[in-house]
Amino acid sequence: MKAPENKPLIQIQELNVEYRSARGAVRAVENVSFELFPNEVFGLAGESGCGKTTVANAITRLLKPPAFITGGRIMFRDIDILRMSQEELRAFRWDQLSIVFQSAMNALNPVLTIGNQIIDAMQAHQSISYEQARGHAKQLLRAVGIDVQRVDSYPHQLSGGMRQRAVIAIALALNPELIIMDEPTTALDVVVQKQILQEIKSLRDQFGFSILFITHDLSLLVEISDRIGIMYAGKFVEAGPSQEIFSDPKHPYTDRLMNSFPTVHGPRRELLGIPGAPPDLIEPPAGCRFHPRCELAIEGECDRIIPPLIRIGGARDVACHLVNEAEAVT
Amino acid sequence: MNRGNNGKQPILEARNLSKEFHTGGAFSGGTVKAVQGASFKLHRGHVVALVGESGSGKSTIVRMLARLYEPTGGDILYEGENVLEERGRRALLDYRSKVQMVFQDPFSSLNPVHRASHAVQRPLKIYAKTRGRQDLRRKLIELFELVSLTPAEEFVEKYPHQLSGGQRQRIAIARALAAEPEVILADEPVSMLDVSIRLGILNLMAELREKQGIGFLYVTHDLASARYFSDEILVMYAGFIVEQATSEELISNPKHPYTQMLLAAVPDPSRGLKTEDTDVQGEIPDLTDLGSGCPFAPRCKHVMDACHEAMPEPSPLEDGRWVRCYLYEEGAPVV
Repeated sequence: MKAPENKPLIQIQELNVEYRSARGAVRAVENVSFELFPNEVFGLAGESGCGKTTVANAITRLLKPPAFITGGRIMFRDIDILRMSQEELRAFRWDQLSIVFQSAMNALNPVLTIGNQIIDAMQAHQSISYEQARGHAKQLLRAVGIDVQRVDSYPHQLSGGMRQRAVIAIALALNPELIIMDEPTTALDVVVQKQILQEIKSLRDQFGFSILFITHDLSLLVEISDRIGIMYAGKFVEAGPSQEIFSDPKHPYTDRLMNSFPTVHGPRRELLGIPGAPPDLIEPPAGCRFHPRCELAIEGECDRIIPPLIRIGGARDVACHLVNEAEAVT
Repeated sequence: MNRGNNGKQPILEARNLSKEFHTGGAFSGGTVKAVQGASFKLHRGHVVALVGESGSGKSTIVRMLARLYEPTGGDILYEGENVLEERGRRALLDYRSKVQMVFQDPFSSLNPVHRASHAVQRPLKIYAKTRGRQDLRRKLIELFELVSLTPAEEFVEKYPHQLSGGQRQRIAIARALAAEPEVILADEPVSMLDVSIRLGILNLMAELREKQGIGFLYVTHDLASARYFSDEILVMYAGFIVEQATSEELISNPKHPYTQMLLAAVPDPSRGLKTEDTDVQGEIPDLTDLGSGCPFAPRCKHVMDACHEAMPEPSPLEDGRWVRCYLYEEGAPVV
């Protein structure tokens, strides 16, 4: 685990994003703040529609209308990404940041060999000869566990897992400081998934980049991340070191989420699940957004007052009235 | 849960079921051996999980059992009768009303231009389960309530796009129930749903098995949900069922090297990801050029000469479980 002693690479401060629809504004991300440190894997977890991908798209400035960033700052070291000009942004993407999407393996160009796709990315951003770039492309393929002979293969000649590795190789081409991975292994089988996750983690150890890792699969996220943030209905409900959250979840939503999926490890246990469904974000519930599904909700408090995200000792943050009262550091 | 079905007639049985697909043109074509020699039994009120990776042949087995694919070889027995020998539309219709299917993707398995009621009414009409409009309406509401889509009067009027994935999957289950089936073939019914929704669907199916005695063949790539929902697990690899055991036995004491690899690949949050682990290796083979040996041999740590020669027959082990692996044949070295 990386102790957050050094300066953060990315600092998200009070980010607000809304999607404007005919029915009204969908408040997809509300007052989200978190930090990502160099060489750290930070995991964002939550169900569909909780805003995790919207956060990623805000960082990469890929949000397009009807999505609007209505507040907040995203600092990359000392620069606000949200204030970058198109030219600055172009340099920032790839050079410092790259992205691996869920179905990225289908985003490869079918008429170019994977080697040429890596070379393209390098030549577009660096002055490098074709031969040099090709040599580097081979190194990258080797690093992600693809046979170097495959440099001249077309995407259709590779399996899904191999294509996803190729995409990771492209993401690494310019040696970025931050890689955003949005469900990078969701479309893959568990065996392939584990191989790729191991690859990602050892590449991180080798190259020292940071990863913002997004997935709905909590056990996978806990496994790969140093710290995680749990999102519910557009807000952070809990954040902290992944092992601590896993062994001792504080927020009732996190607790129930941990209790929603069966496992093959350890004895068979009864699962509680979470009653109800996530709220409509056009008119989110007043107070804590989770209160309608929470068994522990306090009437008159949880349904009225928005619980702030509060540091509760160590490196853990929780947004819950129950926890805040019991454990807030005063 | 082992219900002691020994001796009782299974409701559905696959015997030595095989399916080959031909690919490509007349001269360049190859043969994909999607399923080879699959045999298993499903009893009333029992849940059997079929677990494997993409391309292992699990969906092909389901489609043969649903009579969507004609098997290349082997038999399908329903209450002891060979259904492949029965010809004619009537027999097929009867069989299909008894053996219903729930598909993976509730977003594409419901017709977007029709209300929810339409999907559930059709089997009621096709299999003539109701008399008159009032009876149809009563039955429809009953089915919606059974899958906990309440208030049912409201839900029957909704279009698929107005419903969440979990709600759509409940409609797909109601549609299957409308035919009053004895068996439901559920092909990855929860893999497209969110974590908090999955459990609700699994619990609904568990309730149906409990209360109505429906037998489930639960197809999944997720060993954990198979353990949670099923009594028995069959593990598939490259067209073969390689291991069969009760769910707890299989999870706590996997025998086949592939089952062991599959279990090792499941994320373990309490342990954390170790980059130095080497228990997960290799890729699934190309099904067009399988040799005669065990398809797992190229990835197997325990590979022996015999493994490249021929696929081993099932070796029976204690408690009625079996495994197709030379390590467990009589006289094999103890591992």
